[in-house]
Amino acid sequence: MSATTTRPSTDPATEPAAGGTAPDETRPSPLSAVVRSRAARKLAVLVVIAAVLVPLAHAKWASGSWPGALTVDVSEPLGKASDWIIDNRDSHWIFLYFFGHISNAVIICVRVVYVVLLTLGWAGVTAASTLLAWRVAGVRVAVTTLVSFAVCGLLGMWVPTMQTLALMAVAVTASVVIGGLLGLAGGLSERAFRALRPILDTMQVLPAFAYLLPVVLIFGIGVPGAVLATVIYAAPPMARLTALGLRGADAGVLEAVASLGATWRQRLLSARLPLARKELLLGVNQTIMMALSMAVIASVIGGGGLGDRVYQALSSVDVGKALAAGLPIVLLAVVMDRTTASAGERLGEPPAEDGHRLLRGWPAWAGVGVITVVVALIGRLAGSQTWPTGWAIPIEEPVNQFKDWMVDHLYTGVPVVGGTAEWASDYVKWILDPLREGLQGLPWYAVLLIVATLAWLIGTWATALTATAAMAAIGVLGVWEPSMDTLSQVLAAVFVTLVLGFAIGIAAARSTRLERLLRPVLDVCQTMPQFVYLIPVVALFGVGRAPAAAAAIVYALPAVIRITTQGLRNVDPAALESARSLGATQGQQLRQVQLPLARPALLLAVNQGVVLVLAVVIIGGLVGSGALGYDVVFGLAQGDLATGLVAGAAIVCLGLMLDRVTQPTSRRDRKGA
Amino acid sequence: MARTRTQLLMAAAGVTAVFTATGCGAADMTKQSSPYANVGGAKSVTLSVQSWVGAQSNVAVAQYLLEHELGYRVDTVQVDEVPAWDALSQDRVDAILEDWGHPDQEQRYVKDKKTIVPGGGLGVTGHIGWWVPKYFADAHPDVLDWKNLNKYAKTFKTAESGGKGQLLDGSPSYVTNDKALVKNLKLNYQIVFAGSEAAQITQMKQFAKAKKPFLSYWYEPQWLFNQVPMVEVKLPKYTDKCAEEGAKDPDSFDCAYPTTPLQKYLNADFAKKGGKAAAFLKKFHWTKKDQNEVSELIASKGMSAQDAAKKWVEAHPDVWKKWLP
Amino acid sequence: MATTVVPETPDTPRIPESGERAPVFSVRDLWKVFGPKADRIPGSAEAELSAGELRARTGCTAAVREVSFDVQPGEVFVVMGLSGSGKSTLVRCLTRLIEPTSGTLKIDGEDVLAMDKARLRDLRRHRAAMVFQHFGLLPHRSVLDNVAYGLEIQGVGKAERRAKAAEVVEKVGLTGLERRRPGQLSGGQQQRVGLARALAVDPEVLLFDEPFSALDPLIRRDMQEEVIRLHHEEGRTMVFITHDLSEALRLGDRIMLMRDGGIVQLGTPEEIVGSPADDYVRDFVRDVPREQVLTVRRAMRPATSDEQDGGPALAPGTTVADAIEAVARTGGPARVVDGGRCLGVVDHACLLSVVAGLDGKEVAAA
Repeated sequence: MSATTTRPSTDPATEPAAGGTAPDETRPSPLSAVVRSRAARKLAVLVVIAAVLVPLAHAKWASGSWPGALTVDVSEPLGKASDWIIDNRDSHWIFLYFFGHISNAVIICVRVVYVVLLTLGWAGVTAASTLLAWRVAGVRVAVTTLVSFAVCGLLGMWVPTMQTLALMAVAVTASVVIGGLLGLAGGLSERAFRALRPILDTMQVLPAFAYLLPVVLIFGIGVPGAVLATVIYAAPPMARLTALGLRGADAGVLEAVASLGATWRQRLLSARLPLARKELLLGVNQTIMMALSMAVIASVIGGGGLGDRVYQALSSVDVGKALAAGLPIVLLAVVMDRTTASAGERLGEPPAEDGHRLLRGWPAWAGVGVITVVVALIGRLAGSQTWPTGWAIPIEEPVNQFKDWMVDHLYTGVPVVGGTAEWASDYVKWILDPLREGLQGLPWYAVLLIVATLAWLIGTWATALTATAAMAAIGVLGVWEPSMDTLSQVLAAVFVTLVLGFAIGIAAARSTRLERLLRPVLDVCQTMPQFVYLIPVVALFGVGRAPAAAAAIVYALPAVIRITTQGLRNVDPAALESARSLGATQGQQLRQVQLPLARPALLLAVNQGVVLVLAVVIIGGLVGSGALGYDVVFGLAQGDLATGLVAGAAIVCLGLMLDRVTQPTSRRDRKGA
Repeated sequence: MARTRTQLLMAAAGVTAVFTATGCGAADMTKQSSPYANVGGAKSVTLSVQSWVGAQSNVAVAQYLLEHELGYRVDTVQVDEVPAWDALSQDRVDAILEDWGHPDQEQRYVKDKKTIVPGGGLGVTGHIGWWVPKYFADAHPDVLDWKNLNKYAKTFKTAESGGKGQLLDGSPSYVTNDKALVKNLKLNYQIVFAGSEAAQITQMKQFAKAKKPFLSYWYEPQWLFNQVPMVEVKLPKYTDKCAEEGAKDPDSFDCAYPTTPLQKYLNADFAKKGGKAAAFLKKFHWTKKDQNEVSELIASKGMSAQDAAKKWVEAHPDVWKKWLP
Repeated sequence: MATTVVPETPDTPRIPESGERAPVFSVRDLWKVFGPKADRIPGSAEAELSAGELRARTGCTAAVREVSFDVQPGEVFVVMGLSGSGKSTLVRCLTRLIEPTSGTLKIDGEDVLAMDKARLRDLRRHRAAMVFQHFGLLPHRSVLDNVAYGLEIQGVGKAERRAKAAEVVEKVGLTGLERRRPGQLSGGQQQRVGLARALAVDPEVLLFDEPFSALDPLIRRDMQEEVIRLHHEEGRTMVFITHDLSEALRLGDRIMLMRDGGIVQLGTPEEIVGSPADDYVRDFVRDVPREQVLTVRRAMRPATSDEQDGGPALAPGTTVADAIEAVARTGGPARVVDGGRCLGVVDHACLLSVVAGLDGKEVAAA
């Protein structure tokens, strides 16, 4: 009995202490004190660890770079593996009976879609897409679709557009099916979700470039590899959103459905899936966007279509040609984004009561089919299946002239501000070089320690461990130096992105007019594939790390601006009002109320900025940014998979580390749509 | 309920259809061609385009003639040199028209696997080397000997090269021994990879415009010489011994690049069954002057590859008439 | 614990007509314990601990502890308690939406806990339908399809279920709103849809889980009227969960008061208000206008011989409030007459002592 009586008395004593150590996010004022004390405790632990390990490490492997004794040379086995694959690709059963069938299925599917698209002809495809957009998304999107397809034709890019469309259709379908099934598993089974979540989280931060190599290793250059790389890249958001949607379903509704005696399958089909339909559609939307951005990158491994045209144009610095091929990609992205997005918005609304009966339900769909067939037939009778060549408008020449003019006038010697060439060299000289030398000069254990500290201060010991392990893995792989180079480029570009992004974001949060002005620009920017940004920057900034940084900044800026603006706008109006009632100035309101309260959003902006910048800095290998990106390009170009795979793995580690070091408490989806 | 069952049935049917189509037996993916090939009953040929303009000229002329004289549909795919061999062996492309020498790949695909057959010489001779602009060589003639390069390291310095001189390299896909050369010849230079030839050309043009000195990896035949005249720097003389050792250990290269007769390669199946197209591509043979003429039209006159090819074809029927089967 | 478990079958004066039929639900010693190794708690030494001690000792929470009761056919059985008293868990245990930890549970004499999946589904589909506090409607379906949903699950054909649903929609007063989506309806309307969905499957028992708590007071009253009306029309058995005493008193034929998972008192509204089992219940019913709940049966005293024939006659079920009116009008005592027999009389003193809350002792003394 004594145990029972003492227990209640110990409880109140332990509880406040437990409450004090647990991270408390609801109360801001004691929070800072708690964090400080927690931070101090963590720092103390790290100092102790460092005090023991650093002298050891220093005594044994004193060098700025990662010690050679601690690296593992994987190029030999990797090279052998790659040779084995090439030698056995036409004989070993795993290729004949497994990969061969996958590859064959992909080829057949793409071919079927492609043949259908060509058979419909330009008139049929345009009509079908426009009508489809009208049915699911309304008149405005339909007009956008019509104009977009017309522009694709006018640019003389009809055939490549159809090739990309065929590849996209297959890749998106496969991504949606695979991602949906994975998401279904994760949404229905707690264990599957727990297994899936870290994988999806990690895949979300990986640059697209890192996916190419393993796929090339097995499938070789060509459409199957391109489709599979796209699927690997685009399926995770679908899986993620499906799982989240299923798990987030209103428990009350599910209980009500169960109380009516629904079977497991009825519950899934009539309640769980329909309840998650917004997330599902958002998943489809994100998958399409990711697939489109990958479709271009996949051209590096023979995806063909528009991406290939961009890639060809990029390699001859033909900005006009690149624009002519890049524009259809952007237009496809805009059309698909708007269509799926407004279909998602329309979901909640009831079916329109007005309008003619023939405009609703299956008669309308039948009508869409009939009109499409008729238009396709007319198109075929009137002319060719592909866009009539006479209707093309060559934009290459004027664009190139404009580019030349820009380069002539902006490249160098602009009064006061200096030319882009001066900017580029200043950026390299005053920011990148010192940073790179600093990072490469720092002892390796110091880098590990800094990473551990940052990750631990912002997260838990698990995040710190992951980040440090990722960093150490880079060293073990023997690519410490180029990784530090890449890291310096990322950090510098992130810095610039955040300065610009926060400034513009704050301005937009304070001025509704500016926000309204920015919104369409940001919308378009966010739907553009990463590749497209590389074209103009080479013209303006030449070759090297500066253009890669410029492209990265331009690519990451929209997300940062958007998250910052939303974060500031969503600050509790009551808090702002009370500050105003106390007579705070605009500046005081911003500094003392808005920014502190928007902290989670700002952290998220940093995280997104880092992830997006990394993706583009890697692609920057194509315009001379060197380091890891170059190694990947080199690995692909020379078929030297050892180099490429190691660099790819290092990119994965770098991405993981950067994400963990900047990871805010809650994470949203990549493009913030 | 009934509807979901129908949908399930349809899905099952779809999956079955795919499997029937792919066949239940072995599927050799090295024998699967591009999904875009031969659509609509047209005979089609897929050519690999490399990123440099000379190779584009070959392909442009071949494409023009195949389409207009022989009635083929031509697809082009941009693939880097080494992966192009792989793609060629898998029949994802039918032919490479300009190869600068890849002994490893030749051994594997032509001699061992026999999936690729040589298509004869292109008729053009290629040469790789290090070049400086003529305006600089004229002012400093002694730069043309590699032994004096260290003296000029400071002159060639840029932001990207740090404290050393800059040796501008191009696309990572090109054949290059520059890293070994810089190391073995003890040159105080940093190699800066432009990442692509286009980026490299942009950079060289910009240097030339400003009359700045530069040292660059470059090659002949190349149309850029017409716009930016350049002089080659003499490297230690090329010997077969040096090349043999270099083939064994790429880090040991310490001599100049060889002069290579450029070769064509065809997929083995295509060579057998490709009919007129294969015969035509085997006979395709022209000179450095011809190629440069087309390249120049494409690269500096801003013509599309097809227009440039058309112009050349109209001007030189005597050359290409011989290629037709 | 001072929980008084009232005898399982107390006399139920207000449902005499169906007393001979078997109970709809028969619950004995039902336990629901949440937490690690929950199945070890019932029957063990820990079972006697208070909620706080139990959690401290085992990490478990007993949401329902050793509950026994019967629900008679045709009655409105109200389970009342504050939040956390275990009443919502209890009602979910009835159709095993929450699996009970131990005890027995029968519906029409059939063991619910022994049912296999198919049998249980059948129970949920045809015998017990539930109405939820937060409605639980499917947002992507129209009102009509929501109402027809239970039938759809049973596999009823489209035309048939729609016809049936339209009928029920009319019954609950939603005519004209069939094509709307739940999101376009007010809270009260949504709950009518929830009610209609439960009615559409024509269940033997209706289970209500705090159905009107989320509604504002005026609408709540309307809905209560609606339930009373439905009960009058159809005589369906209902189990009604609420935390609102006045609602319980309005609707309940019998009320089961719960606290910390156990039963505090089970009885008619009059018994609850008139003779609270303990201080907790007394505290609970303190503000109830007693004269509107208690009847003259409780207030009367034995009649003296001269009172046997004089004065107005009242039925035993007459509330004290009505009796006061009658007594005040005549000035003298009123007789309580049942079937011509005089059971007793009520005078000023009797009625006032009821209003003042002194009657309990008096009755006990008598």
